[in-house]
Amino acid sequence: MSILQVQNLKARYAQTGDDILKGISFDVAEGDFYAIIGPSGAGKSTLIRCINRLVEPSEGSVSLFGQELTTLSARELRKTRRHIGMIFQEFNLVNRMSVMDNVLSGRLGYVGTTRSLFKLFPRSDIQRALELLDRVGLIDHIDKRADQLSGGQRQRVGIARALMQDPQLLLLDEPTASLDPKISRDVMQLIRDTARDLGIPVLCNIHDVALAKEFCNRILGLQSGRMMFDGKTAELADSDLERIYELEVL
Amino acid sequence: MTHLVSLQAELERSRRRRQWVQLLMLALVLVTVLGSIQVIIIEDTDWDRVGTFGQIMESVGRFMALDWSLIPHLGIPMLETFLMACLGTLLGLFFSLPVAWFGALNVTPSKRILYPFGRFLMTLSRSIHEMVWALIFVAAVGLGALPGILAIAMRSVGFISKITAEAIENIDPKPVEAIRAVGGNNFQVMYYGILPQIKTVVLGTIIFEWDINIRRSAIMGLVGAGGLGLTFFRQMAMYNYGGVTVVILAILSLILLGEILSHYTRKAIV
Repeated sequence: MSILQVQNLKARYAQTGDDILKGISFDVAEGDFYAIIGPSGAGKSTLIRCINRLVEPSEGSVSLFGQELTTLSARELRKTRRHIGMIFQEFNLVNRMSVMDNVLSGRLGYVGTTRSLFKLFPRSDIQRALELLDRVGLIDHIDKRADQLSGGQRQRVGIARALMQDPQLLLLDEPTASLDPKISRDVMQLIRDTARDLGIPVLCNIHDVALAKEFCNRILGLQSGRMMFDGKTAELADSDLERIYELEVL
Repeated sequence: MTHLVSLQAELERSRRRRQWVQLLMLALVLVTVLGSIQVIIIEDTDWDRVGTFGQIMESVGRFMALDWSLIPHLGIPMLETFLMACLGTLLGLFFSLPVAWFGALNVTPSKRILYPFGRFLMTLSRSIHEMVWALIFVAAVGLGALPGILAIAMRSVGFISKITAEAIENIDPKPVEAIRAVGGNNFQVMYYGILPQIKTVVLGTIIFEWDINIRRSAIMGLVGAGGLGLTFFRQMAMYNYGGVTVVILAILSLILLGEILSHYTRKAIV
């Protein structure tokens, strides 16, 4: 069953009017760990951000469980974003807040403005946050400020925050690009295992082809905003990789 | 060899030229200073009223005969001055928040209307002197501490909101993106994404401004807006020079207190 359907998606820079995405279509099905690979500037980050409309697509359709996202009002969009967890390249934590508060901020879409003003999260949320912090191995660090953690630990906070949303889809924007190779694999493994346990499909931007091949079951190859490949990981041949990366210099 | 010689001659000439220019500048400054002294001091002063050196010393001496009997009457005005500074700063902070929101380019609700409006308010607040603000509010709401509080608030808006707006413009946009991605509304984005990043800068600014506001509120009374300034004005009107000096000492000790308090609170938060 397909969970996320993207059809003929286009996006362009506001200033120059150049297309970054030139008509992208793919389906994310249940249990998928979908990788988007491609050289820098191919539009990977833009594509991911068009799904939850951190970047507004200029054309095409994105539907999650059959609901069209591109036409939602601001209010409906916020409601839908609650169900889409996002993990970022540079973790995007609030550095001056504690680990616990950062994780709890994943619930902001659910709690009202007044409650969030006084940080009055429901007890069930706090319980859930503790479970998730235990799961990602940070239960001893809950009161530390986010900037006191190492890179790998910070990304684990980012993962816990995304899972806090009870997401139906996970978007990962280069989750390992700021981490060293060993930690990168640990983080990917943690995401894959958790996503499997919770039954959440994952759409993941990644420039490291080896990692993509190891962890992802489907691969979408992007080059200058065009799809060069879309298929199972096993079907990805060296010739496909060459086509995807042919324009890259250095 | 000839090349070197000509080079040396060239250097020598340019050095001499520079010296001439410097000499000319010096002469110009000297003429300006002497001219000013002639026009605004020598010609403009009523020398007959200055009196002899002894008379000057006598006048100064009158200020030295401290009038300690005034001290019991200073407590209330001192407290009033202190509270005027506190309330004025708080009220100023309250007004500063929307102004900073309007005037920070990355969060302003409208770049074309509210952004320039916010920037205009910042400039307006600072370009009108606190005594002028006080005169306006004394005319508007009458004598007492209230016009002083309002004047200090209006004067504080400019600085607090400008620093706050600049802090907002310098934040790291990444956490903001994350809060938007979890479905946070505009308030939550500001409260969770922006506020933690600017908190220390804003707190430091408020304490700094409060420190300055104690000085400002000490003179508010000169135009009828309450506090120690009013006592000062009364003593002056009664020609009680010893009393004037005591009031000045009271102001000095209050400012010193503010200085000490702000030093330690700033240390505690940063």
